[in-house]
Amino acid sequence: MVSSILIGLSIIAQAYFIVAIVDHVFLNDGTFQDIIPWLGGLFIALLARAMFSYVNGRTGLRMASKVKSDIRKQLLQKYARNPMQASIKGQSGEKVSVMLDSVDEIESYFRHYYPQMIQSTIVPLMMLVAVFSYNWVSGVILVVTAPFIPIMMIIIGKNTQKKSEEQMEKMAVFSGRFLDILQGLSTLKFFGRAKDKREDIRNSSIDYREATMDVLKIAFLSSLMLEFISMLSIALVALEVGLRLVIYDQLTFFTAFFVLILVPEFFASLKELGSAFHTGRGSMGAATRISDELEEEELPVHWGDKSLDVSGGPPTIDLRGVHFSYGENRFALKQIDANVPPNSEVAIVGRSGAGKTTLLHLLSGLIAPTDGSIDVEGRPLFDYKESDWFHQLSYISQNPYLFSGTIEENIALGLTDFSREEVVEAAEQAGIAEMISKLDKGYDTKIGEGGRGLSGGEKQRVAIARAFLKKPTVILFDEPTVGLDLKTEQILQRSMKKLGHSSTVITVAHRLHTIMRADQILFIEDGELVANGTHDELLRSSPSYKNMVRVQQGGDAG
Amino acid sequence: MREISMIITLMLKEKKDVLLSILYGFLAGMGAVAVFANSGYLISKAAIMPPLYVLTVSIALLKLFSFTRALSRYAERYYSHRATFTILSNLRVHFFEKIMPLAPQIFQKYRSGDLLSRIVGDVESLQNFFLRVFYPPFVMVTVFLATIAFTMFFSIYIGLILIVGVVLTGFAIPAWFAVKQSHLERQVREQRGQLSVSATEFLYGFRDLKIHQKLAKQESDLIDASDAYIHEQEKDGRRALFSQSLNNGITMIISWFVLAVGAYFVSIGELEGVFLAMLVMVSLTVFENAVPMAAFPNHYEESRLAAARLYSVVENEEAEQTRSEEVLEKLENSQPWSLTMENLTFTYPFEDRQALHDINLNIPIGSKTAIVGPSGSGKSTLLQLFLKVYEADSGHVLINGKDVRKVEEESIWSGTNTLLQDHHFFYGTIRENLQLAKDGLTDLQMNEALANVKLEDFSLDDSVLEKGENLSGGEKQRLSIARALLKGSRLWLLDEPTSSVDVLTEKVIYEHVFDQASNDTLLLVSHRLTGLEKMDRIVVMNEGTILETGTYDQLMKQKGYFYEMKQIEKSVFSA
Repeated sequence: MVSSILIGLSIIAQAYFIVAIVDHVFLNDGTFQDIIPWLGGLFIALLARAMFSYVNGRTGLRMASKVKSDIRKQLLQKYARNPMQASIKGQSGEKVSVMLDSVDEIESYFRHYYPQMIQSTIVPLMMLVAVFSYNWVSGVILVVTAPFIPIMMIIIGKNTQKKSEEQMEKMAVFSGRFLDILQGLSTLKFFGRAKDKREDIRNSSIDYREATMDVLKIAFLSSLMLEFISMLSIALVALEVGLRLVIYDQLTFFTAFFVLILVPEFFASLKELGSAFHTGRGSMGAATRISDELEEEELPVHWGDKSLDVSGGPPTIDLRGVHFSYGENRFALKQIDANVPPNSEVAIVGRSGAGKTTLLHLLSGLIAPTDGSIDVEGRPLFDYKESDWFHQLSYISQNPYLFSGTIEENIALGLTDFSREEVVEAAEQAGIAEMISKLDKGYDTKIGEGGRGLSGGEKQRVAIARAFLKKPTVILFDEPTVGLDLKTEQILQRSMKKLGHSSTVITVAHRLHTIMRADQILFIEDGELVANGTHDELLRSSPSYKNMVRVQQGGDAG
Repeated sequence: MREISMIITLMLKEKKDVLLSILYGFLAGMGAVAVFANSGYLISKAAIMPPLYVLTVSIALLKLFSFTRALSRYAERYYSHRATFTILSNLRVHFFEKIMPLAPQIFQKYRSGDLLSRIVGDVESLQNFFLRVFYPPFVMVTVFLATIAFTMFFSIYIGLILIVGVVLTGFAIPAWFAVKQSHLERQVREQRGQLSVSATEFLYGFRDLKIHQKLAKQESDLIDASDAYIHEQEKDGRRALFSQSLNNGITMIISWFVLAVGAYFVSIGELEGVFLAMLVMVSLTVFENAVPMAAFPNHYEESRLAAARLYSVVENEEAEQTRSEEVLEKLENSQPWSLTMENLTFTYPFEDRQALHDINLNIPIGSKTAIVGPSGSGKSTLLQLFLKVYEADSGHVLINGKDVRKVEEESIWSGTNTLLQDHHFFYGTIRENLQLAKDGLTDLQMNEALANVKLEDFSLDDSVLEKGENLSGGEKQRLSIARALLKGSRLWLLDEPTSSVDVLTEKVIYEHVFDQASNDTLLLVSHRLTGLEKMDRIVVMNEGTILETGTYDQLMKQKGYFYEMKQIEKSVFSA
């Protein structure tokens, strides 16, 4: 703001000094000595103009940085509070792109558009005041002609908006062709068709050019109109000052020249606003995406401050009328009641989409029931300290995530107090020590992003090793839906049995032996707990359960 | 530099548009200079009471120059953008032609999916080369030459000052910043990479981070990465801004010198006062043409890197591929082939663990073989070796007794109904996508093929989006099978062709496939262990090698790995 005013002032001062110098040596036959102070003044004005533009740009940059940093923090907090929905909906990739790309895209709004808008509002006004104060007639000409610029823009915009939207769609299609064809190049080669697609690329690129040029022509046309309007206006002013200078002798050369220098500056500033506006508009889509994310409904989890004492073994867990929904009319778990005694093995069984994983998330405390409560040792789970609960808990998912780091870091995830011997022992129990020992760097081998890839079975075993090292009292296990290699399958069975000695194990079960071994099966259909008991009990009591088991075993014939 | 010169050669194919862009750019630049020179002259002349006709002529000229300038600017923009997009089209075709012979090997080698989007992005960023790097200097130089010649006519010294100005703002400063640019840009990219890793781990690994109470740390890591990235971006922006402002400042100072020197010569009577205003206006205007040069280093560096990356991808591969100069044999493909592997080992590029080892396999002509095993056991790799997508580290791959090293890969592909796991469907219609299979297919044949894969509801005119986005996984698999059925070659290499298809439909489809393939050689990688009873042989793989082979009954009797896998499959609830 201040620097914009200073820019305006330095433009006026620049014009004033130039005019004064020319006036003095040209018309008044002054000596070079006389104009030295003015030259000094002009030098300062010119430098000031460059400097304040720099300052303005810096302000824009800083503002953009601050906004980007703040928005990323807000997004992060939002995701940290409310992330399970994202991972349930499988939108993690989209969210990464919001955090990276969308945030980057809003930069130009703050860096270019915003400062330019301030500058382009203030500077033309100051020019106008300066012109008015020397020659009001020129001022009136400017005031009358300038509004034609926005009017013209609106007219052109209105008439072309629909057309350009159509073109945009075409452009998106044409520009996608190249990638589409490249991605299918293997397919094309196997069918011996690659050469045919060359002309396709050329044609779609030329079509893209035509569609783009149609849109660009509109933009060029509007700047041509802008140019004409400002030109006309400048010519009118020139004619006016010229006539009054020569014929009516109402103006001095000084005033006329001064006005003629300022008028183009006036229009240049308005033009810059136009182009800044275009850059700023590009940020709008990104801004919408970000605000959509920030406004996403939250289901926050609040923890208490009670300590959880597990010195006597795993805690008792009770589900009392647990409900869960992802918002109005969206999927829900309804009225789940169950008791999980210490050291028991529980299997959650049901068709895909029945709500099994959601129940596991509720039990983990990652999301909170919308109604009812999960009690641990006779007290609501969320009365306890977050760290006390998670300290007791292991969650083994179908696709354990490996972080970039060494194998040891991945096994010891989150633990601070451990020795290499303990890590090795956990790895041995999880049946992965042999594989690790074959690696050149052993436990120090980098895995995860940018590191060595592990197979699905190996990832499972790393996750099991995590649990052996952590020694939790409650284990939540999302059993893989597809068969893994025999070794991993055996290890999974053996490990879960072993881990079950010292902890409660709750499994979303996909294997018959897991189900048959369970002390208790929670059979869920469409979000409701329809039966609860052992395998034999359910076979007797629940026709639906019996049917499911029968289909599974009969399905083999297919 | 060499890459850039290749790009320039490509660009100069569009000579006419290139020349027109430069011409109109020149006219627009000169128009602007003339307008301001004229108005400065006009106003000075007016002050000393000239005859009216001088003013009238001047005003008429002013109009002419103004129109020239506005219209030329329009034409310049039009032609330069048109040239840009034509060049983009040429670039795409050029790189497509370069990449074409390297597929599919190149995509397998760089297994990261982003290779392609990088190629597309790089080609796209090269379109800026003409618009921002190539032609602006030409316009600048020509406009300056003309302007300087004009001012020289009035004052040699002022002309010299302008020369100094253009050398500084048009060349010296941009060049200086160009040197600094490459370093900064790399840092920005590195920081972005870090942030991307952090954000990915935060969101994908959220559950594990939360339960292992590492979330707070990951959060603060992410914020640090974000701030470091923003810091680098800001540094980069500051540098661009500084280079711009410096350019701007120097322009101003040059105009100041023009005024000071001009005023001095007027005061000692060596220059007519009536030209002073004109010269000052000229100087203030002409440097507008040097403004695009401030962005020159950025764009130059971007183009150079993009070109270097593109050529490094295609040229490394070319070099590797051309090593065998010998003429490769074409396989005759009207009869089915036999397939053999002898003592084969294979390791993926950039990995140290062997993907396949000690593979010995003989598949007789016309036999039906299933390959089973857990994921990651090397089943798909085996198929790709038969297709010569990869070459073995040691041992031999033989087709009809001929080593594939001596066989032209196109002839293998044309004799094979290949169905790997990445089926691609192109933007267009179902018909266009099926027509890839063979020339001269009738609608009747294609509809029949659709019916065979239980897609009779599909119309040949139905549209398909890029990558078959509007099709489900199962539909894509079935369409691929339809395509293979239409192609009708005598070797079938099928990699989990029906993993997303329900059991009943799978059964129907297999009946058609086996019916058509009754005399052909067929190799099927299967994720399910059901329906394998009819296969001539089942090959069981684990950890990159073959554990056991035999018919379904033999393997079940043997109670080995296959038997155990079968037991697990029985116990897994797919419900």
